[in-house]
Amino acid sequence: MLHGSLIQSGLENVYWGVMIVTYPYISGLVAGSFVVSSLSHVFHQKLFDDLAPLAVLVSFALLLAAPLTVLGDARQPINFWELLTRGHWPYSPIAFFILIWMAYIVLMLFELYFAFRAQNVRHWVQSQGHSRLRRFLTLGSRDASLAGEKRDKRILMILSAMGILMAFLFHGYIGFIFGSTKARPLWATPLMPVLFIVSAMVSGIALMWVVYVLVMRFSHRPVHRALADGLLRYLVLFVLLDLYMDAVDFLTSAIPAYTQGPTSQGFQRILMTGPNSGIYFGLQLGVGLGVPLIGWIIPQIRRSLAGGALMSLAVLIGVFAMRWDVVIAGQEQSKISSNLVTVQIPWTGFDSVQTVIGVFAVAFVVFMVLAWAFPWQSWNQIPAMEHREEREGQILSQSAQGTNSTITTKGGHVLS
Amino acid sequence: MARRHILRQMAIAAISFSAAETLLQSAARAKSLTVLAAARRKQWTGENAAVMQYYRTKPKWASWTVPQLNVRDGWSEPSGWMSKIENSRKVPYIHDNFNRLLPVTKLPHHWVMVIDLRRCIGCQACVVSCKSENNVPVGVYRTWVQVVETGAMEPDAQGTVVTDRGTFTPNVKRFSLPRLCNHCDAPPCVEVCPVKATFKREDGLVLIDYPKCLGCGYCINACPYDARFFNPIQQTADKCTFCVQRLDRGLLPACVTSCVGRARIFGDLNDPNSEVSRLIARYPTTHLKTTMGTKPQVFYIDLDGVVAEDGADAFNTLYPYAVGTNTEEYDDLTGKVLLQTPMGKERGTR
Ligand code: SF4
Ligand code: SF4
Ligand code: SF4
Repeated sequence: MLHGSLIQSGLENVYWGVMIVTYPYISGLVAGSFVVSSLSHVFHQKLFDDLAPLAVLVSFALLLAAPLTVLGDARQPINFWELLTRGHWPYSPIAFFILIWMAYIVLMLFELYFAFRAQNVRHWVQSQGHSRLRRFLTLGSRDASLAGEKRDKRILMILSAMGILMAFLFHGYIGFIFGSTKARPLWATPLMPVLFIVSAMVSGIALMWVVYVLVMRFSHRPVHRALADGLLRYLVLFVLLDLYMDAVDFLTSAIPAYTQGPTSQGFQRILMTGPNSGIYFGLQLGVGLGVPLIGWIIPQIRRSLAGGALMSLAVLIGVFAMRWDVVIAGQEQSKISSNLVTVQIPWTGFDSVQTVIGVFAVAFVVFMVLAWAFPWQSWNQIPAMEHREEREGQILSQSAQGTNSTITTKGGHVLS
Repeated sequence: MARRHILRQMAIAAISFSAAETLLQSAARAKSLTVLAAARRKQWTGENAAVMQYYRTKPKWASWTVPQLNVRDGWSEPSGWMSKIENSRKVPYIHDNFNRLLPVTKLPHHWVMVIDLRRCIGCQACVVSCKSENNVPVGVYRTWVQVVETGAMEPDAQGTVVTDRGTFTPNVKRFSLPRLCNHCDAPPCVEVCPVKATFKREDGLVLIDYPKCLGCGYCINACPYDARFFNPIQQTADKCTFCVQRLDRGLLPACVTSCVGRARIFGDLNDPNSEVSRLIARYPTTHLKTTMGTKPQVFYIDLDGVVAEDGADAFNTLYPYAVGTNTEEYDDLTGKVLLQTPMGKERGTR
């Protein structure tokens, strides 16, 4: 027994506990929410312009929390600096972690700077709240012009394109940690990185939907339905892709005729009939894929906000179940003895449910700090001087027509 | 509105509490680990007082209540057991590119073990001597002897075994299978270590540099033989070392010297006159899980192919004292009768 919690008393054990389930889950959310931000930054989908700054902040907060999971699971976390001083590159997949993670952090810092630079300058110039913080965050830049903003957008596009690659690398390599472990028949499949990336996209989009709606609710702003529905459309698209990947995985792991003996035996005894069958069929496939697809088919669910929340939360649960089915189920298959290894996840202490909640709480606190520090609110954006005149003209002409007080500008911003 | 407000406050309070609790817990853990790391560094240099002080004040620091470490256990010997794992003969280490080992004949030694299953009686003396030689904590094993049964109970009207489900004739074979680290020539455990804490010595031994280990557990998952485990006292990965502290002083491993039937034979494969070389030349030998491509260096004579390759579902493990108490297998053995039938495993009634 370890720290009075995770059961490690047997000859064979489940060595990687619920923290390692959370690790790919969080990094999947990082990758997924980053890709949501790049919908606006790289693919210039104007609809998602409002969401992009929020997505960058969510992605960064989760990225900062991600290593807590691995450190929380390691027995000697204070040795982590060995990864820098004697990392086993390029032979060990885990050794890549620190390299990719640090590169990603640097990239995200640049992304944060350029995504908010113009707004920071304008907020500072007009002394709108946290004036000193704004000045600090501009790092000395004083360029509030439209041309400067356009240049930022170009830089952001390149950064985000690199960021998508990094996100795929960051998450794909975690899939590779499992895919390269030949001793575990359920892990050792080259599909693993792709499976992980696809479900990362699914969970990231669902998370951004939930975050967007919650943020709007809590700041008493109307939810921009076109944006939320647009996200749901992408969600369903990626859920279909995930369904395809799961089908391929099922065919190449579960059917005895198509795969190695231990793989199909393990799949059938653990995931199909054994202790994890409920999580596999019920949560991973049923809730994670079934609920969003059925919800999409029924217009009442698809069109309502509650239905969207149902679909997104179902996806978030389903992807967590998928990580569980990889990490825990893979280790339930015994290597040397007969029958399966049993697993008990403790509620408190080392590698427990409580630590998982704690990691998410840390991510949440970091997100709150970031949200306080950066001007991400779409209703709080100060346009460049050139823009402002244009907007004022618009407001004047619209109020002359006697329309209501909510005005949508070109970028889809909702002004009240 | 007021209720919503209170709910929000409560949610915020719960979240902050949870975050603070996790941070505090990590801080406390980091502190206790820092103290232990400092103590261990001193232990490495032979100053064991700090370690002993630490264990005396916090004997249950890892909630591992059973071993009380004290002088009589040998844990406080001035040149402690951990320092003996140091490479006194300065044999080079490698962490990857194991093909370098191919011209083995050029190397001075290549240590291997031959296990002659015809002679193993399943007495578990090696398990005990390994534990006592290497201070292996309670509950984990560097070597263990599985007593396994292959074959099946065949339905037969004239059978001798009568159950509620019918009458069977046992067509089974039982034997003992000593297991330990195979000191593989292409060890996945070494390749995956992110900090090069585990390594292969050029004379064949796969070892761990414990103070460098992160305790990430990757090597434990990557070993196809489950030869590695988390040492609950050290909180690092651990495994059989071929008794390197004895080997470097010219002694045989403890499990070899204590083997009553001389089923374990240890020696230098590069020496054509050594007993292991002669045994390997004379008898057909095989390894466990050759399909893993790990090139194991523990050679078995008379090993059943079913156990060597198929593992898991092909056999029953009897006598679970060296088997995990957290397997369904253990549940079955303590609670219910297992029958191997052509339909698969059937749980009989008591
Ligand atoms: S038996 Fe396992 S621990 Fe030992 S060298 Fe081979 S892979 Fe590594
Ligand atoms: S547990 Fe230790 S020896 Fe094993 S891979 Fe991790 S750092 Fe290396
Ligand atoms: S060689 Fe030494 S460490 Fe390995 S099993 Fe035998 S006694 Fe234990």
